[in-house]
Amino acid sequence: MAELARNNAPQKSLRGNSFLLWIEAWKSFKKNKLAVVGLFIVIVFIFLALSAPYITPEGINDQKLADRLLPPSSEHWLGTDDFGRDILSRVIHGARISLWVGFVSVIGSIVVGCFLGILAGYYGRWVDTIISRFFDIMLAFPSILLAIAIVSVLGPSLRNALIAIAIINVPNFGRLIRSKVLSIKQEEYVTAAKAIGMRDRRILFFHILPNSMAPIIVQGTLAIATAIIEAAALGFLGLGAEPPAPEWGKMLADSKNYLVQAPWTMFFPGIAIMLTVLGFNLMGDGLRDALDPRMKN
Amino acid sequence: MKKKSLFLSLVFIFILGIALVGCSTSTTENPPEQGETNDNNEETNDDQNQQSEDSSSESTLVFGRGADSVDLDPALVTDGESIKVTLNIYDTLVKYGDLDTSIEPSLATDWTTSDDGLTYTFNLREGVKFHDGTDFNAEAVVYNFERWANGDKSSFYYYSSMFGGFKGDEGHVIQEVKAVDELTVEFTLSRPQAPFLQNVAMPPFGIASPTALEEYGESFTENPVGTGPFVFQEWKRNDRIVLVKNENYWMEGYPKLESVIFVSIPDNATRLNELIAGEIDIADGVSPNDNTRVEEESDLQLFVRPSMNVGYLGLTNTRPPFDNKLVRQALNHAVDKEGIIAAFYSGQAVPAKNPLPPVIAGYNDDIDPYPYDLERAKELLAEAGYADGFEMELWAMPVPRPYMPDGQKVAEVIQNSFAQIGVSAKIVSYEWATYLEKARNGEADAFLLGWTGDNGDADNFMYVLLDKDNIGSNNYAYYSNDQLHDILIDAQSNPDQAKREELYKQAQEIIHEDAPWIPLVHSTPILGGKNNIKDFFAHPTGSQSLTKVYFE
Repeated sequence: MAELARNNAPQKSLRGNSFLLWIEAWKSFKKNKLAVVGLFIVIVFIFLALSAPYITPEGINDQKLADRLLPPSSEHWLGTDDFGRDILSRVIHGARISLWVGFVSVIGSIVVGCFLGILAGYYGRWVDTIISRFFDIMLAFPSILLAIAIVSVLGPSLRNALIAIAIINVPNFGRLIRSKVLSIKQEEYVTAAKAIGMRDRRILFFHILPNSMAPIIVQGTLAIATAIIEAAALGFLGLGAEPPAPEWGKMLADSKNYLVQAPWTMFFPGIAIMLTVLGFNLMGDGLRDALDPRMKN
Repeated sequence: MKKKSLFLSLVFIFILGIALVGCSTSTTENPPEQGETNDNNEETNDDQNQQSEDSSSESTLVFGRGADSVDLDPALVTDGESIKVTLNIYDTLVKYGDLDTSIEPSLATDWTTSDDGLTYTFNLREGVKFHDGTDFNAEAVVYNFERWANGDKSSFYYYSSMFGGFKGDEGHVIQEVKAVDELTVEFTLSRPQAPFLQNVAMPPFGIASPTALEEYGESFTENPVGTGPFVFQEWKRNDRIVLVKNENYWMEGYPKLESVIFVSIPDNATRLNELIAGEIDIADGVSPNDNTRVEEESDLQLFVRPSMNVGYLGLTNTRPPFDNKLVRQALNHAVDKEGIIAAFYSGQAVPAKNPLPPVIAGYNDDIDPYPYDLERAKELLAEAGYADGFEMELWAMPVPRPYMPDGQKVAEVIQNSFAQIGVSAKIVSYEWATYLEKARNGEADAFLLGWTGDNGDADNFMYVLLDKDNIGSNNYAYYSNDQLHDILIDAQSNPDQAKREELYKQAQEIIHEDAPWIPLVHSTPILGGKNNIKDFFAHPTGSQSLTKVYFE
């Protein structure tokens, strides 16, 4: 009986019956308590980001210099910053910026990384050499340093920070996909597809790519966490979001002079960064366990 | 207090948490990064160790300030940070009092003025030597003034600002400088200049060694040689400048310090923390919010610099739409100066309505300031044809200045009120030297800047900052008004002080109407220092001689 079940699983995936596979993954994901907590945090922040304009008590740029640096109270739940702006409203709006940067930059690096990785893995030889060495060069730089360099060239702004973060993450995805393609290339169904005369493009995008999606999803979730931290770091250094955008890293930088006087100005944006990053990391770990067949019992 | 520290430690734990989360992801994906982080940490530690070693000796003064010098040849610079250092390397013919701008002998022991105000004769001090061992004499004075007079605006800004241009220019004041004998110099002016002695006393006109000037050429600015109380030893860009005692200084028994180290610590809060930690002896530019922190520390004292400055938002008058007077007036209505002062100066400033501070003779107190009135601002914009507003760049200085402790924050307040009249401003900043250069080239729409008076005369604000002669040097706003020019030149040449004051008051009316700037504040800068520092005089010009300073 056990023998039979083991034989069945790969057959399902071969037939492309991926729906069942996802349900199975979800079941295993659900068992992981920490991962569910992570998912919950992520959902809360996504909800905050989407509904920010409707739920924030005050406009993000309502400066009231007379009400500056007020401690948390019933009127301002998280206090006010040095311009008298409501920190709660700004933190909630900050979720928009951070999640936007996180998702868009990671999707960007996945698209570019997958494309390059597939080419390198499938065609091999000189194509592989060029692309892989290019990845190696990029990985030789510490990622945040590379991001700073890119932003310095493009000029500081949120959009350019996003581009920089996308660029520095490209090699991670590229390498991942390349190794995946190298192993899938040997599979019988690819050989079969070649044998019936299918064109490269179709093999690549309809057979190889879908079968390499699982690690990409895991890596992508974890990369969003890193991207959020990197965006905050760039914002902190004054290379990311421009004033008066309520970007979390920038909020930290703006309030560092008031660390003693008004610690809440730093505390809450810091908490927000920590929670989202933690959420994505927990969720990513859970996904890895759920999607990796080798981890299954 | 206890609650606060509990809260603080919580904050630290969470920040640590964030850092750790960051590390864990980067180690799995990108091992090289962690190595980099460790390297950085080590470097900072090294730096700190070095600093504590330096300040261990009680005859060394470590002066922490907001920015590094641009150049060490005082004739080349206009920024206060450069002058803070050069003032202690070079002497001028005459100098200011310890806490005011009265004239005292320095390299010249006495002087006479002819009745028509056109000839000044200086008798020089005997036996003074430059740091390189060469003699200071009348020839050296002539050499320096000739060097400046033959220069151009791209190098000697201050000379052109104070003496009406260069040799051959129509407005040039100094017709001839002549060495009568070894120790007598005679200046012949082309027209009387009332504040002439005040001008000559300014630190940019420190006398440099002619031998060294010829020897070093272009690199003189990194190898300064003067006659001053301290000798230049070392300059690490953006870090420190080390000066050591001039053993042969002409002032008997001075300087009292063995050496002075100027360190640049751009962040106000960090600088103050270094002072509290004992790493530095004096912290320049203490944030107004932090004055109570200095007072709370029993081993620190607060130095208050008498206010003689103006912080302003310059509008480049040649760039549309700022070439339109109505637009400039509209923007003048749209800045909440009181709010800015309450928030970012802790109230230690007064709102400005004129380009010169009230302490200066000739200040016109009858001017009605543009009130903070957004409706009026909108009306004026509509009248100028910009009812829907416009987009602009708003430049904010990257470093704290005495007249503006935090330019970025002030810019954000202005950005916010401009947004309410439909003007969308993008805040832009550059590295300090680049910022000044670009603004001077007229590349900014609007820029935050300020001025600390050099010699206590109205001329030093009005003519230097707003006359058409000074476009390309200190008139960053590119403001040009012929009528104003005539008044300012008249005021400069007129020996009658009462008449001069009247002329300056008239000039302020014209400037108020034309609104080339938005005058923001006149601040009272504060410094923090160790309690045992004696005879440190925070001079109103923003730069002080450290000759008399000693530790008790």
